[in-house]
Amino acid sequence: MSAAPAEMKEHAEANAKWLDAHYDPVANLYTFSPCIALADLQGDGESKLVVGDLGTGLCSMKLKVYRGTSLMSENTLLDLPTGLVSFHMDQHEPRTPAIAVASGPFIYVYKNLRPYFKFTLPSLEVNPLEQEVWSQAKEDMIDPMSLKEMLEGIRDKADIPLSVRSLKFLILDPKEMEAFVNLHKQQPIRRQTVITCISTLKKNMADEDAVSCLVIGTESKDVYILDPEAFTILSKMSLPSAPTLMDVTGQFDVEFRITVACRNGNIYVLRRESPKPKYCIELTSHPVGLVRVGKNVVVGCAQETLQGYTQKGKKLWTVYLPAPITAMGLMDHHSRGFQAVLVGLANSEVHLYRDKNLISTIKTPDVITSICFGRYGREEGTLIMTTKGGGLMVKILKRTAVFEDRDMAPGPPLAQSIRLNVPKKTKLYVDQTMRERENAVAMHRAFQMDLSRLRLAVARAYVKALESSLTPVSASLSDPLKMNAVVQGLGPSFKLTLNIQNTAVCRPVMNLAVSFLYDEALYSMRNAFFQIPLLVPGLNYPINTFVECLTDKGISDIIKVFVLREGKSAPLLTAHINMPVSEGLALN
Amino acid sequence: MGLFDKLAGWLGLKKKEVNVLCLGLDNSGKTTIINQLKPSNAQTQDIVPTIGFSIEKFKTSSLSFTVFDMSGQGRYRNLWEHYYKEGQAIIFVIDSGDKLRMVVAKEELDTLLNHPDIKHRRMPILFFANKMDLREALSSVKVSQLLCLENIKDKPWHICASDAVKGEGLQEGVDWLQDQIRTIRT
Repeated sequence: MSAAPAEMKEHAEANAKWLDAHYDPVANLYTFSPCIALADLQGDGESKLVVGDLGTGLCSMKLKVYRGTSLMSENTLLDLPTGLVSFHMDQHEPRTPAIAVASGPFIYVYKNLRPYFKFTLPSLEVNPLEQEVWSQAKEDMIDPMSLKEMLEGIRDKADIPLSVRSLKFLILDPKEMEAFVNLHKQQPIRRQTVITCISTLKKNMADEDAVSCLVIGTESKDVYILDPEAFTILSKMSLPSAPTLMDVTGQFDVEFRITVACRNGNIYVLRRESPKPKYCIELTSHPVGLVRVGKNVVVGCAQETLQGYTQKGKKLWTVYLPAPITAMGLMDHHSRGFQAVLVGLANSEVHLYRDKNLISTIKTPDVITSICFGRYGREEGTLIMTTKGGGLMVKILKRTAVFEDRDMAPGPPLAQSIRLNVPKKTKLYVDQTMRERENAVAMHRAFQMDLSRLRLAVARAYVKALESSLTPVSASLSDPLKMNAVVQGLGPSFKLTLNIQNTAVCRPVMNLAVSFLYDEALYSMRNAFFQIPLLVPGLNYPINTFVECLTDKGISDIIKVFVLREGKSAPLLTAHINMPVSEGLALN
Repeated sequence: MGLFDKLAGWLGLKKKEVNVLCLGLDNSGKTTIINQLKPSNAQTQDIVPTIGFSIEKFKTSSLSFTVFDMSGQGRYRNLWEHYYKEGQAIIFVIDSGDKLRMVVAKEELDTLLNHPDIKHRRMPILFFANKMDLREALSSVKVSQLLCLENIKDKPWHICASDAVKGEGLQEGVDWLQDQIRTIRT
């Protein structure tokens, strides 16, 4: 019952921020966030949506360009795209960006939506043993079966892995081998790696339309930076693992920072003039999304968490998500100076996080697979999403939309995060700390000496108490006794109860007497000395007597109780009774 | 108003002045429409995006229009509401070729109609479904559907398809507006 209004409220809340500009559930667009970009391709002030469509299988891979709600152009791609970026190659007017599509070991560059250039990654070193074996096969010195055996031997032992041709050969049926060898033996062996991620890096200016270098990560655990005009390799950096996600900031000629999420579950930060990673962030689970917000890095992890890190790798926060992440993107609204992270989830929701605060939720009709925010057409705050079912969705941020910085998710109240005004260190504190630091040894010695003196004083007092039997528990072995005294009454007459117990195992105690010592000006006692009967071990003997308080000045004194043995002057036990002030007299 | 002015008014020598707000999204053709309505010797050749707003004047057979040509860019749209009080009529221009931003136009129109300075006034609204020459342009009927114009009950409104560059359809709209203003005044 209560869920429905809450849902409606949530829906209204999302509607208050976004306008549904377009939704085509059958746009036949299958892609993911690295293959989607917004660019003003024709320089007419209207941004177009450029999508590297993965198609539905091995075919129908296309480079699609959307203008408004309609498809503007389509180019067929030869292989699956792994990434797509728009970048400015040169300073020529009009300033129209080029499109770079990474696929396999190639980068296809399009200008004005026409193929312009194809860059191929440098080939890798080929195993010399493999080369040798193939050259023997070329001269027909070995038959396909022995070629297979030798290649298998190389595959199992060598440091340099086999080329694709040899690997293909090894999976063939024996009867197809001959034809394969004859077809390929004339060509030299090449070993190629593939591109896993692509990004751009401004060359020497920070402007929006400045010339950018391409930055590519490869399966061979390298990162290359390419010159935008000549497509030569300007810089090469190595990583401990194959990169999967990449974020680049800065300028090539000044200082830059490449944040790379790798397949080993770590994030590395590369910087200018360092061929090896500068910082490393070790994640607890694999990264599935990487977004940089200002100077911080937000990582989406496979364990349904979103984590924030500083650019030096210090962890700032973790947010637990209700479902696995399907897409991540940055929402950067320039004119409002607003930055947040868009997270597409498997439960058909898009969450918007500013730092660790969830500030908005969008419900989508299908699970989204790619997300992109930016200027589309003439509208600056446009959110573009493609869905798992091949749909295209465009939402526009309302002009009047306001995002509260408050967290929508239930959690600790706001008051908890207010910092208390803890006073700074005072001069006195600083002086004391300095003194402690300088005179540590002397202070320690003084403390140790005082401690020893204290222990000595305690030991002396204890010995004295034992010697004069001032304790309420008898220390002598022959007469183990225990006594406590209770005072009852408000005064002026009090009742004193002495509880005496023989703590010996089986021996009774006889011939004991109790004597009281008190100030006779203050108290009078009917019987200040009396005999105690035989004490059976273990039993408690309450002995009562009465005390009369004589003074009306509201003062009290101590009454000492001695347990004595006949014929001995030193008492066995002593108890001091702190008498209460007589309230009865004070009332009169 | 002096006696002479009144006399001139009765004789139809002096035209009544009316303030009109010209609103709509950026790149919808507001300035181009106003430019076309001006006398041919006052027209400018190159139209550039308006910054803030500009005040233009033109005359029809019986009225003298003062048009507040507001900028449609997102960052200037919050200026619109400051001029609602002065306006006696509204011209709302829509780019009928921009299907994507039709929702934005609707949103701005709804905000406009719900503004306290507009809501309870019976002021005529003229809609231009501009750029009808474009191949992918929507018809004026379709535009009025998308903007839910049928929900405007308490204000006279009229939509006409226009091509501001050639000047087509503008006169029809202005004639309607002139009639409306005259009926409201008398």
